[in-house]
Amino acid sequence: MRSNIHVKDKVAIVGAGITLFRRRLLETPRELAWEAAKMALDNAGLTLKDIDCVVIGTAPDAFDGIHLNGEYLADGSGGFSKPTVRVYVGGGTGVMVPIAAWWHVASGHCKTVLAVAEEKMSPAHPHPQGVFAYIWDPILERPLGPNLIWIFAMEMRRYMHKCDAKKEDIALVSVKNKRNALDNPVAQAAANITVEDVLSSELLVWPVNRLDISPVSDGAAALVLASENMARRVTDSPVWVEGIGFTLDNTHWYNRELGFPRYVNYAARLAYKMAGIERPWKEIDVAEPYDPFDYKELHHIEGLMLARPCEAPRLLKEGWFNRSGELPTSPSGGLLGVGNPIAAAGLMKVAELFWQLRYEAGARQVKKPVHRGVAQAWGDLMQAGTVIVLGN
Amino acid sequence: MSWWKPRSHEDVIFYPGRQETEEYVYTPGIHGKQFAEALIKGKILGMKCGDKFIVPPTTFCPDFSEGELVEVDTEWTVQYYTEVYRDLYGNQLEEPVVMILVQPLGWEGGLIHYLKPGIKPEIGLRVRPVFKPEEERRGTIDDILYWEPY
Amino acid sequence: MTKKYPGTYLKRDEMYSLPGLVRYKPTAKYSFSAGIAQTKFLEGLKKGKIIGVKCPSCGRVYVPPRAFCEYCHVPMNEYVELPGTGEIHTAVISYISTFRQRMDKPEIVGVVKLDAPGYTKESYEFAGLFHRFCGITEEDVISGKAIGMRVKPRWKPENERTGSVTDIECFEPVES
Repeated sequence: MRSNIHVKDKVAIVGAGITLFRRRLLETPRELAWEAAKMALDNAGLTLKDIDCVVIGTAPDAFDGIHLNGEYLADGSGGFSKPTVRVYVGGGTGVMVPIAAWWHVASGHCKTVLAVAEEKMSPAHPHPQGVFAYIWDPILERPLGPNLIWIFAMEMRRYMHKCDAKKEDIALVSVKNKRNALDNPVAQAAANITVEDVLSSELLVWPVNRLDISPVSDGAAALVLASENMARRVTDSPVWVEGIGFTLDNTHWYNRELGFPRYVNYAARLAYKMAGIERPWKEIDVAEPYDPFDYKELHHIEGLMLARPCEAPRLLKEGWFNRSGELPTSPSGGLLGVGNPIAAAGLMKVAELFWQLRYEAGARQVKKPVHRGVAQAWGDLMQAGTVIVLGN
Repeated sequence: MSWWKPRSHEDVIFYPGRQETEEYVYTPGIHGKQFAEALIKGKILGMKCGDKFIVPPTTFCPDFSEGELVEVDTEWTVQYYTEVYRDLYGNQLEEPVVMILVQPLGWEGGLIHYLKPGIKPEIGLRVRPVFKPEEERRGTIDDILYWEPY
Repeated sequence: MTKKYPGTYLKRDEMYSLPGLVRYKPTAKYSFSAGIAQTKFLEGLKKGKIIGVKCPSCGRVYVPPRAFCEYCHVPMNEYVELPGTGEIHTAVISYISTFRQRMDKPEIVGVVKLDAPGYTKESYEFAGLFHRFCGITEEDVISGKAIGMRVKPRWKPENERTGSVTDIECFEPVES
């Protein structure tokens, strides 16, 4: 049953664009935003003149090394002289961008929105890891000399303990996603690897090895969203935004159970309620859960209620989440395979659902017929959940 | 607000911190790379967008079409100026520095730069760039030392 | 999806030899205020005590203390001393530093779930700290023996304490 949410307009995605995801790109951040935005407009058959509002997403300014990065990106995103806003929820930003674009249109405020996400992680030296140092509490955490990978390792260890999951079970996510990425023309880290390769890659923070983690990337992605009338005018195959949800938990990540992502679960429930979905594990045909680390995909699959808690590793082993499986996850190749330019990576996941639901994903198209998909991102200190449900 | 007992500054512990990134490396971009190569040759590039001319070139035009690189071939004038008396850290400068926005006649945009020391700034002042010796140029904006009237 | 995708990849040395490349070293310095509640906590550490704060509405005791309850959104000012004991919620072995350099000696770090009133054994939230562990082996972490292990803080000598989270050297097993 659909919840009683009053909207002025139904909202559809009518175009998508993306740049290459690479470790280091020549283009400036605004050039990357422009390339992706222009491709999305061309794809929708629209020009910048047809766009009413612009939503920009980019993660911490400290990666691009430009303060007020949203404003900096505004011209490349087509935002000058238009209502333009930047949204930011850490790693969750990429999915927050189309969520914000949704409310721009659903409220009746805009008929068309250009939604752009960009990230350039290559400017920070000696390693973008230094930038992540800022996210730790300066008084209670930073004196201990933490590395960002610590927090993921801690969560992964807790998940392994709670669910009795083994490292080799979890490594299968990396194997699947990097293999899926072989069919993705923008992918940075596509590869045919084995579980053994993951386990024997450089050990960083036990239980995390090098190949458990997505790479550092530059890149941009963009979508065009439109009201129902406008969407029907420009395309025969709009992809509808059926539900959105976003929630935030507290900053004290070490005061919470790390084995289950409550923040993602709450956001998912909101999105499913709006979409009238009662049994997501049956009603969702394809999913793009956020996978900066391999265990995160399993963690999020459970948070999204696509599997029962602790059930995801077993289903993964059975091939349930393969492109040919019952519920394909990360058919794009995910962050592990395509790359992780933070905000752009989240939006890439939504763009992949758009292509899947239009049967335009080419070699990446999942085997089963698709009607509904869910994309999700997570961000900040195990804190933010952003979820979007799309349908064709 | 009975619970709120104001404390003196000394009663609260403060912790020092620093920016953790050692260095940022910014790539010049598509037009930026060609702009840099031209600077090394002592030339300034802008771009043509339809019937508009814009400097510096940014690869894309306001309407999202791709800009066409062209050399700036007209005279530059001072649009705005300001006099700077302190450095980034608040220290008094020995000599005030004059920052100017220079724009080619009939063009849009412009460059922020220095006016030659000792020159009195004036809006509309006709100026030209003075470049570093060619072997010292790296394609960055400081390949131009300053702008001087002529 | 057969079109060409924009983006010009650069190898590391190609980037460094680009004309017009700008390199900039940031120099910003910060001074972070611990605020009222955290200052209480840090002063407690200096005396070898773990201080929490109790919510008058839900009864949860928070470590580290904050000025307001994040669930009830009411001010908190009832500070309580906790025994400092607890159990390991999660633990990992780090081989890299903040900047991803290999460390000579791996370090065991994780989350301690502290003994504190106001929570049930099943509750999602708990009072706890992120810290280093000592007296447990890498094997304990990998086998899972470490998780759930009872631990207590090992304090620095009193004259070396500065009112910092590092006044606790690490958390070590209770029985040792």
